[in-house]
Amino acid sequence: MLKKITGFGLAVLLAGVPLAGAEPTVDEIITKANSVAYYAGDDGLADVTMTITDAQGRERVREFRILRYDVADQGEQKFFVYFHKPADVAKMTYMVWKHPGADDDRWLYLPALDLVKRIAASDKRSSFVGSHFVYEDVSGRNIDDDVHTLEATDDTYYKMKNIPKDPKGLEFAYYFIWIDKTTFLPMKAEYYDERGEMIRTITALETAEVQGHPTVLKSEVKDLQRNGRTLMEFSGVRYDVGLKDDIFAERYLRRAPVQWIR
Amino acid sequence: MLKKFVLYTLNHPKSVIIASVLLTVLAAAQFPRIKVDTDPENMLPSDAPVRVFHHATKAEFALYDFIVLGVVNERDPDGVFNPATLTTVYQLTNDIKNIEGVIAHEIIAPSTKDNIEQADLGSVRFQWLMESPPRTRQEALKIRDEAQDHPMFRGSVVSEDGKALAIYIPIEKKDLSYEVAQAVRELIKKYPGDEEFHITGLPVAEDQFGVEMFKQMAISAPLAGLIIFLLMLFFFRSAKLVAAPMIVAVLTVIITMGLLIGCGYPVHIMSSMIPIFLMPIAVLDSVHILSEFFDKYQQFKDRRETIVFVLEELFTPMLFTSLTSAAGFFSLSFSPIPPVQVFGVFVAIGIGLAWVLTMLLIPAYIMLLKEEGFAGFGHVEADEKPHMIDKTLAVVRDASTGAYKTVIILTLVVIAASVYGISRIQVNDNPVRWFNPGHPIRVADRILNAHFSGTYEAYLVMEAADKEGEAFLQPEMLRYVEGLQAALIDSKLVGKTMSLADIVKKVYYELLGGDKANNKIPGTKAAVAQSLISFESSHKPDDLWHLTTPDYHKAVIWLQLKSGDNKDMSKVVALAEDYMRRNPPPLAVSHDWAGLTYINVIWQNNMVMGMLKNFLGSFVIVFGMMLVLFRSPLKAIVSMVPLTVTILFIYSLLGFFGKDYDMPVAVLSALTLGLSIDFAIHFIQRAAEIQQAEGDWMRTASAMFRGPGRAIVRNALVIAIGFLPLLAAPLIPYKTVGFFMFMIMAVSSVATLLIIPSIISALPQKFFQTKKGGDHHA
Repeated sequence: MLKKITGFGLAVLLAGVPLAGAEPTVDEIITKANSVAYYAGDDGLADVTMTITDAQGRERVREFRILRYDVADQGEQKFFVYFHKPADVAKMTYMVWKHPGADDDRWLYLPALDLVKRIAASDKRSSFVGSHFVYEDVSGRNIDDDVHTLEATDDTYYKMKNIPKDPKGLEFAYYFIWIDKTTFLPMKAEYYDERGEMIRTITALETAEVQGHPTVLKSEVKDLQRNGRTLMEFSGVRYDVGLKDDIFAERYLRRAPVQWIR
Repeated sequence: MLKKFVLYTLNHPKSVIIASVLLTVLAAAQFPRIKVDTDPENMLPSDAPVRVFHHATKAEFALYDFIVLGVVNERDPDGVFNPATLTTVYQLTNDIKNIEGVIAHEIIAPSTKDNIEQADLGSVRFQWLMESPPRTRQEALKIRDEAQDHPMFRGSVVSEDGKALAIYIPIEKKDLSYEVAQAVRELIKKYPGDEEFHITGLPVAEDQFGVEMFKQMAISAPLAGLIIFLLMLFFFRSAKLVAAPMIVAVLTVIITMGLLIGCGYPVHIMSSMIPIFLMPIAVLDSVHILSEFFDKYQQFKDRRETIVFVLEELFTPMLFTSLTSAAGFFSLSFSPIPPVQVFGVFVAIGIGLAWVLTMLLIPAYIMLLKEEGFAGFGHVEADEKPHMIDKTLAVVRDASTGAYKTVIILTLVVIAASVYGISRIQVNDNPVRWFNPGHPIRVADRILNAHFSGTYEAYLVMEAADKEGEAFLQPEMLRYVEGLQAALIDSKLVGKTMSLADIVKKVYYELLGGDKANNKIPGTKAAVAQSLISFESSHKPDDLWHLTTPDYHKAVIWLQLKSGDNKDMSKVVALAEDYMRRNPPPLAVSHDWAGLTYINVIWQNNMVMGMLKNFLGSFVIVFGMMLVLFRSPLKAIVSMVPLTVTILFIYSLLGFFGKDYDMPVAVLSALTLGLSIDFAIHFIQRAAEIQQAEGDWMRTASAMFRGPGRAIVRNALVIAIGFLPLLAAPLIPYKTVGFFMFMIMAVSSVATLLIIPSIISALPQKFFQTKKGGDHHA
């Protein structure tokens, strides 16, 4: 209860900045947006239905439960992704220890192979289980990886331009993000290649306030080169459910924490 | 009737010329509307099942036509796997992404594809094969080792010997191949290192052929024209007169091509050859008239009387030689190949036109020349030393009348030998082989296929009967695919195959720690599915959908062949079909083939069988025409003999010398048929006329080997020599045309002059017998 009030108080404090007459700085916008998008509450869980549609209109559906635990706000985080569908990959589990500014630790549990495997994660631009989302879209791109500038402001959005400091291994040259001025949720992102051609977009299609946190309920990524898209729908979103650090451990991969995945 | 009209126009030479010029201008005005089509795929109708399936397969599995850019480094001990060359490859790949028409995100290169490899702490890593250029030798060699260990790269992107590396450049449309290849050639110039670059692949070979073919058209046809002109000048010694056949030839070509373009037909590989086919035919007609005019002028010393005499004599044989040639080509309109239909019809039209122009324009032209210009012109029998041609003709005459038995026996021997030669003919084609061996495309083809597992692609598509069962996630089905692939590789016909089974195995054993003992299909469907979903967590998850469909009810095996020869592709198909028959798959699946290499097999089979049918059909039609013309079965049969010998002889050479029976050869059968009969028609027709006057075969023979014989020899020499320069053309089909023209003229003239008189000598009475009143004449 105390925590919640503190959180509320912080929001009031931040909301008070523009009232004082000054626009927030670029750093403030980015930090706030990162916090809202990826660090709501101290933990959270959701059921995700992911619909992958390719250029030919062929659909594949994946359903999984995602658990998140923040070790430190705006810092270390741990994720658990537990698959329900398709049937052949049920019980397959991903675990991630996110280390902002360093390589993440990733594990994969494949029940049919009875195998727990570490996945080297030097690169976060690989596909998230075959969807058009990349790993980084789900866990959040480290805000220090880009140089951010405020490109434009209108009544609704801050339009940020973000240029990677190290372009190595990236399929894009720069991207824009539209951040909602009230909720600070990133509502749209457009990725461009070095030729200035838009290659990819991510759009928040539906948002709602859950337990006081602005939350994206539907998000869609479009791959403009391949004409594919993936829709991610979140349901049963809950924050501050009381996840404990110790379940985000290798031994829980083979025996998932039942109370959190049902 | 027609003849009367022709004679009538003699009084109106100016009107004839004005009309011809108007028609030509009208036709030439159509030229700017030209549409060019160089795609051999259009040898099949666009709704041909194999094309429909090919395109459906390409769409369903997101497969593209590729230009293959090979990079070879023979100087560095590590081949291409040294930091400098790999840096070049890296930068070049990036440059290529910016070329218009290239599908950048589907380029297959070390820097654009993902690898799965063992990493620290027993982890696996999904990493770009070459994320950035290596800085050290070790880094470069690691890229080589990783690539050679990956089914997607081994033998296709990297060569086994490490000396070569290939970038596969997918293009939006096949007809952009040449442009894209040219852009790549420009880029290559920026990298003057130890590397050699080679560009190959069927799309670029086909498209480049189209470009060079049109260039060649602009060189070959005029060059042949020039030589024909010079030869005629040598024979007839009057530039003014000799200009007439050239004008007829040029007008025929312009009007026919104008009509073709004006009718909205694209100029295809086939139709681009129309000019080179029409030219000899048009010239042949006019040479007959000129030759006779030249021989007879001094008898009449009046151009009008001479031309009337010549037209009287030649009208019927020329009508029939034109009709038979036209029939040979018109029969192509029944072939199952659209461009061949268009080609056949328009050559037939052109032949008709050449006949009309010859009949009207040549006399009109002669009428417009001043009589004085003809003084000292023409053949003066008595006061001239026997010409080389006359001497030769005398020898031939003596042989065919004196030693006719020997000639007939020799003919039978030649026929027997030719039939044996024909039995050894190999039906085969490969668009890459349309270029000379020294052409960069052929060189690239040779070098890259020596280094790699093959640059010719074909796809074997399998579809499970049960659409819901995710058949290609079933281990037993994947093992079946694996077995089929092994059989294909064992046959040595296929350099490399790749399928979903290879990806499953690769991911599976890498996940299990990289031990090759686990390089196998896992035991359960769930294990297969989980291996594949792991693969999907790479940078290029969509690579999976080049090999199967997301519902796993279809799968495609990529085949890479070192040879694009149709006969090799056919063997592969036969082998795979046989394997599947003898080893029924565990689940009910149907299968079919796609890929350019396979499509070429289909249209070629259509073409060969179609051409053979057409040829037999036209043979019968021509025989029917001969019956009508000569009103004597014997004469008709005899007239077919030189033609038969010519065709058998020429085609037997293909068998003896191992030259493939390919597209140009197939099409040339129509020309052979149409041209080979000409001399026989002239010979028999004239012999019958002279015989009527002389009443004695020996005297007839003697006359025949003067004027008519000279006309045949002149004609044969003009065309045979006129087309010889084609042998120096850089494109094989042009060489083939040159060779055929030469052989048709040489063999059919010799056959006509030797065999027909020999047969007549064997049975002169019977031969000259006519149905009505023939009895008392004999």
